[in-house]
Amino acid sequence: MKRREFLKKSGCALTMLGLATQIHHFGLMSALAQKMQDQSTPPNDYKALVCIFLNGGNDGNNTVIPNHNDSSVSNYSVYYNARNPQGLAIPQNQLLPISVPRMGGLTYGLHPALGPQTQNGTTIVNNGIYELWAQGKMAIVTNVGTLIQPTTRQQYLNRTVPIPYQLYSHSDQIAQFQAGRSDQIVSFGWGGKISDLRTSQDNPNALVPMITSVAGGELFTLGQLTLPLSIASAPTPLNQVLLLQGFGTSTADIERRNAFNQLRSFDRNNQLVAAASNITEQAIQASNALQSYQEVTVTFPNTTLGNQLKQVARMIKKRNDLGVNRQIFFCQLGGFDTHQNQVSAHSSLLTQVSQAMRAFYDEMVVQGIANKVTQFWLTEFNRTFNPAGSGSTVGSDHAWGNHLIVIGDAVAASDFYGINTSNGTPFPTLTFNGPDDADSGSNARGRWIPSTSVEQFAATLAKWFGVPDSDLPTVFPKITNFPIRDLGFLVNS
Amino acid sequence: MKTCKLLILALSLVFFIVARAQDDPNPDSPTPILISHSDSTRTLSVSAKSWRGNLPKEVVRSFPYGTEIVIFVTNLDLLPDEGANAFRVYIQDAKGREFRLPVLEMRPVKGIDWIYGLIVQLKDEVGYWQEGPEQGDVLMRVSWRGLTSNRTRLSIGFVGGKIEDDPGAKPTPAPLEPPKKIQETEYVGYRWSGDRMRFLQQATFGPTKALDNRIRRIGIRAWLEEQFNAPYPTIPYPDLPLMPSNPPSDCNGNQNDVPDNPPDCYRQRYGMYSAQKWFYQEAFYGEAQLRHRVAWALSQIWVISGTDIQQSSHMIAYFQVLARNAFGNWRQLMYEMTLNPGMGEYLDMARSTKNNPNENYAREILQLFNVGLFMLNPDGTYQRDAQGNLIPTYDQNVVNNFTKVFTGWSFCEDTARCPNRTPGAVNFKDPMLLRPQNHDLTAKTLLNYPGSDSTRNIPACTNCSNSAAIETYANNSLNQALDNIYNHPNVAPFISRILIQHLVTSDPSPAYVARVAATFNANRSNPRQLKEVVKAILLDPEARGNVKTEPNYGKLREPVQLLTNLARQFDVMSADRTTISDGVLTSVTSPSGQVAFMAPSVFNYYPPDFVIPGTTLNAPEFAIYTTGTAIARANMVNTLVFSRINTNSSGVTHGTSLSFSDLEALAAADPTSNQLLDELNWRMMNGNMSAEMRNRIITAVNAVPSSNPLRRAQTAVYLIATSSQYQIQR
Repeated sequence: MKRREFLKKSGCALTMLGLATQIHHFGLMSALAQKMQDQSTPPNDYKALVCIFLNGGNDGNNTVIPNHNDSSVSNYSVYYNARNPQGLAIPQNQLLPISVPRMGGLTYGLHPALGPQTQNGTTIVNNGIYELWAQGKMAIVTNVGTLIQPTTRQQYLNRTVPIPYQLYSHSDQIAQFQAGRSDQIVSFGWGGKISDLRTSQDNPNALVPMITSVAGGELFTLGQLTLPLSIASAPTPLNQVLLLQGFGTSTADIERRNAFNQLRSFDRNNQLVAAASNITEQAIQASNALQSYQEVTVTFPNTTLGNQLKQVARMIKKRNDLGVNRQIFFCQLGGFDTHQNQVSAHSSLLTQVSQAMRAFYDEMVVQGIANKVTQFWLTEFNRTFNPAGSGSTVGSDHAWGNHLIVIGDAVAASDFYGINTSNGTPFPTLTFNGPDDADSGSNARGRWIPSTSVEQFAATLAKWFGVPDSDLPTVFPKITNFPIRDLGFLVNS
Repeated sequence: MKTCKLLILALSLVFFIVARAQDDPNPDSPTPILISHSDSTRTLSVSAKSWRGNLPKEVVRSFPYGTEIVIFVTNLDLLPDEGANAFRVYIQDAKGREFRLPVLEMRPVKGIDWIYGLIVQLKDEVGYWQEGPEQGDVLMRVSWRGLTSNRTRLSIGFVGGKIEDDPGAKPTPAPLEPPKKIQETEYVGYRWSGDRMRFLQQATFGPTKALDNRIRRIGIRAWLEEQFNAPYPTIPYPDLPLMPSNPPSDCNGNQNDVPDNPPDCYRQRYGMYSAQKWFYQEAFYGEAQLRHRVAWALSQIWVISGTDIQQSSHMIAYFQVLARNAFGNWRQLMYEMTLNPGMGEYLDMARSTKNNPNENYAREILQLFNVGLFMLNPDGTYQRDAQGNLIPTYDQNVVNNFTKVFTGWSFCEDTARCPNRTPGAVNFKDPMLLRPQNHDLTAKTLLNYPGSDSTRNIPACTNCSNSAAIETYANNSLNQALDNIYNHPNVAPFISRILIQHLVTSDPSPAYVARVAATFNANRSNPRQLKEVVKAILLDPEARGNVKTEPNYGKLREPVQLLTNLARQFDVMSADRTTISDGVLTSVTSPSGQVAFMAPSVFNYYPPDFVIPGTTLNAPEFAIYTTGTAIARANMVNTLVFSRINTNSSGVTHGTSLSFSDLEALAAADPTSNQLLDELNWRMMNGNMSAEMRNRIITAVNAVPSSNPLRRAQTAVYLIATSSQYQIQR
C-alpha cells in the first residue's frame, strides 16, 4: 500500500484490515521518502538523536564561564564584576576547569553541578558529565541562537536585516528552536521534518514511528506527515506505556475489543474523527510492538529527566525488535526560567541534567552504541548577563545567544564549536553594550547576538544522522542563508 | 454528612420560574447547495475576470492553479451582514489532500437573488502543503454555519484525472425559483432534541436529563437568562487559611510527632487538593453551570498554574476573579487580574520594581491575554502587508515600556488596607498593593494603533514628591495602560475566537468570529459585556442546529470535560453512592495530559493555534492527544464505566462512581439492544450516530448475555465514550 493510495482512501471509509495494514509500517507515512526508497537500500547501522530540551531558557552564562585571566578576551574578572554584586557569580574555585583548544588552550569553567555530587559523603548515582570533557566526548557549541541570516550588531540595531519574530518570548523562541526556522510560524518541527523525509528510506520495516517523545507531543516531534510515538517516562514499565486496560478473554470482551478497533474505520469523512482515530490506531499498533522489553543495565537517577532518559534507553535496547535503524527522541525538563531564586534552582536543575545524561551515556556504552547515539541540548534562549534582583532571590531575565552541550562518542573532540563572534573567537564578548550585546545604552543587560544559528547547529546533527546535504533546505529552509552547514562537532565512526 | 444530605436536597429542588420558549427560533440553517452543470456534477464556474455578474454558460473548462474563479451557491438564508467570510471553500485532490481556498467576495447573481456567486482563488489558503494540488479534476465543497454542501467537480490544469464523485452524487443545476422558507409552526418548548444536547455540551460541563427536560420546556434563551442570574457557586468555595511560614504542628504533613488532624489536613488546607475537589464538585453539581464553564475557559486564557501557585487558597482567590467577571466587563477583568496576587506571583509582577523590572507579565498580558502577536482583521484573520507578511502588533520596546508601568505592586501587607492579611503568611487573597518607592516614574510609550493617541503616551511624573502623589500617578498609569491594551482592535476578535474555540468549535468561520467580536465591541462599556459575548457565541447560527454536517466542525473534548460529561450523563455519586462525589479526580485525568489548575505553563495545556499533524485542521485540544494519551483516555473511560474511584485506605475520601441503572432497565426490556442504542445515540451523540457505528456496537453489546443487562449497558457506553466519534464534541 502506497501513501498515495492511503491518502486517497483516507477521505472515505476504510475497512479495518486496510487501515491496520496501512498504518502498520510507519515507513509509509512519507511521500517524499517514498520517491527515494527506490534509489537505495536502508542503512546497515543504527543511529539515534536524543534531544534534551531545557525549558524556560537555561542560563548559559552560568553554565560555561571564562576561567582565565587573559584580558584579550572576556576573562573571569569580567564575569565576576558583572554578576557578583547581585550575588549571581560562581566563585572561581568552584568552577570545573576545561581546557579549550579553539580558545588557544585557555581554561574555561563549567558549572559545578555538572561534576560529581555528593550527598552525605557518597557520590550520588554517577560522576556527572564533566568527566566526559576530558575523555573527548563533550562538545560545546557556543553562542547559538535564533537567526534568519548572519547578523552583526549594527545590522541588528539598525534593523537592516530580518530579525526572528518575538525575541525573548518563551513560546516563540521555543517554537523557533524546535521548528528550525525563525522567519515564520510553522506547525511542524525539525525532528518531525527529518522523520517525514527519512522514515521510508531508513526504517522501512519499523513497527514504531521514527520519533519517540517521552515529554508529550511537542512541536519538535511533529512532522507534516508523520506523528511521534508519545509515551510515559519511567518508572512506568515500557510494556505498560500503551496498555489498554479492561479487556479479558471472555467472548464478550473479545467482541468488545474488536468493535473498539473497528469503530476507528467508520465516519472517516469527518476529519476530526479521522485524526483522532489515526492517532489511536498508531497507539494500538505500537502497543502491540511493546509487549515486552529488557531492563537497562545502568542505574538511572529517579528524577524527571532520569526517568525520561531511562525510557529512551529501554526503547533503544529494543531497537532490533522494533525494526528501527534511525530514531529521534525528545526529552524535556522545565524550570529553567529562573527569574528569581536562581542560585539553588539552577544548581539543582543542572545536577539533574548532568546525572541523567551521564547515566544515559554509560548505558549506551554498555549497549555498545555510544558512538551511534548523540545527546544534545536545546533551550529557547540564554539569560541576561546582568542579574535580575539581588541577594538571596537573585535571578536573570530572557536573553538570546546561548551555549549548547552535545554528548556522545561521535563528538569529534572536546572543544568549543560554532561561528566566530566579532572578537574572532566563538565565545562572545561579555560586555554590556559591547560588540555582542543586542542591548544598547547605559541600561544594556547583556543579551548576546548569536553568531551561530539554530539551523547550523541542528543541520550538523541532521547531517550526521544521515540527512543528505541536498535535503537540508527542506528541513531548514533558511539554512541557505548561512555559508557553513556543518560545524564539525560530530564525526562518523 | 448532614451538609451532604442537605446539598442533595438542594440539588434536587426544581426551579419554579415559569418561562416559555417562544423566543427561540428554529435553530437549523438550510444546507448550502453548490451549483453544478445541469447534466453532470461539474461545478458551474467562470473565471472571475470574465464574470459579468450573471449565471455563466455551462462550459467544460479547466482553470490554471492560482487563478480566481466564481462558483455559485444557493439555498442560503443570510443575515444582513453575512458575506464572503461566512463561507469556506475546500477542494480535495486525487491524492486525497484537502485544500482550503481563500473566499474573496460574495455577490448575488444579477436578477436571481437566491443564487450567490463566490469568488475564490485556486490557492492553498492555509499554506500547509508545500506544493499545490494534483492537477486534473478535484472535488469542491462549500461550508457554511457548520453545514457542508454537496461536492462538485472542478478541473485544475486539465480536465480529467482520477477522482471519483461521491456515492450518489447528482447534478445540482441552478434552481429557477427561490428556495422555500422553512415554515414556522406554533409549538411549545424547544423541540430540537439534537440541538438541546449540543447546546448543553457547549454551555455546561455535560448534559443531564433534568437539564434537558428543563430546556425542552423553557427553551435555550430563557435558560440562558436564568443562568446569567443564577447564584454561584452551589458548592461553597473552600475557605482556607493562608499557610504561615511555620504551619501548625497538627497540620504540617506530619513533620513532627504531633499527628495531623484530620490526617490529610496538610494537603486539604495548603495544597491544590481542595481547589481541585471543589472545581469538580461544582462542575458535577453546580446550578450555575454556564458561569463555571466560562470561568474555566477564562482560566485557560489568563493562565496561572498550581505548579507555582501551590496553595488552594491562592488559586481560589484567582478563580473568584474569573468567575465574578465571567459575565462582566473585560476591562474590569483585566484590572482585577493584573492586581491578583496569584497572577502577580506566577508572572513575577509582584517583584518587578523600577530598579529590577521583570518583563514577564507585560509580555503575556499582550501576547496571550489580549492582543496576540500579529495584527488581526475584525473577523480574526491575519492582516498582511504589501509583501504578504504578517504585521507584528508590538516589539520589545513596547514590552519594556509596559514593564515600567507594571512596576511597584506587590503582596498586600498593610493592615489597614488588606482585610485578609495574615501575619507570617504571604497575602494571596487581597489585590496587590503599590509600594510607591518601587514604581517607575519615567515616561512610557505604549501600543501604537489607529486611535491610540489618547492612551499611548504616559508622561514622566512631574509632581511625585510624596507617596500619595506617586500612588495617584501609578494608578492612573496602570489604568491608562490597560485602556491602551483594551482599546486595541485585536482584543475583540482575539478573545472572541478563543472563547468560541473553548465552547463550540475549534475552527470557527471568520464571519462567526466577526459577529461575536462585534458584540464584544458594541458592549465595551457595558458592565455585563461578557454576558452578551457568551450569548452571541452560544446563539450564533454556526453554534446552533439540530445536525452539523461540516466534516471539520466541532472540537476534541479535553480530558477534564470528557470526564465531567460522562459523570453528569450517568448520575455521578460517591463510590458507595450514598453521597456526592468528593471530586478527588486529578489522578484520573492526569495520564490523559490534563490536571485541573495545573497547566504546564502560561501557554495553557494546549495552544489555540495548534494544527493536527498530517492535516490542515486547527484543533487546540489535539496538542494533548497523542499515542500515549489516546490510550489513557480509553483507560479513564474503562475505570469510570466498569469500575469506580474507590475511597482511599485512610477513608478520608468518598470516591466517585457512575450509575447506569436507567440504561440497564432499557437493556433488560429490549434484548435487541435497539432501545439502549437509541437512548445513547441521543444522549451522547446528539442523535447523529452513523448506522454502521450503531450496528457494530449492537453486535458487540449482544455478545454479552442478555441475562446481564448492566454489562450490556456498560459495554455500549464504553464503546461510545472511547470512540473518536464521541471524543469529538460536535
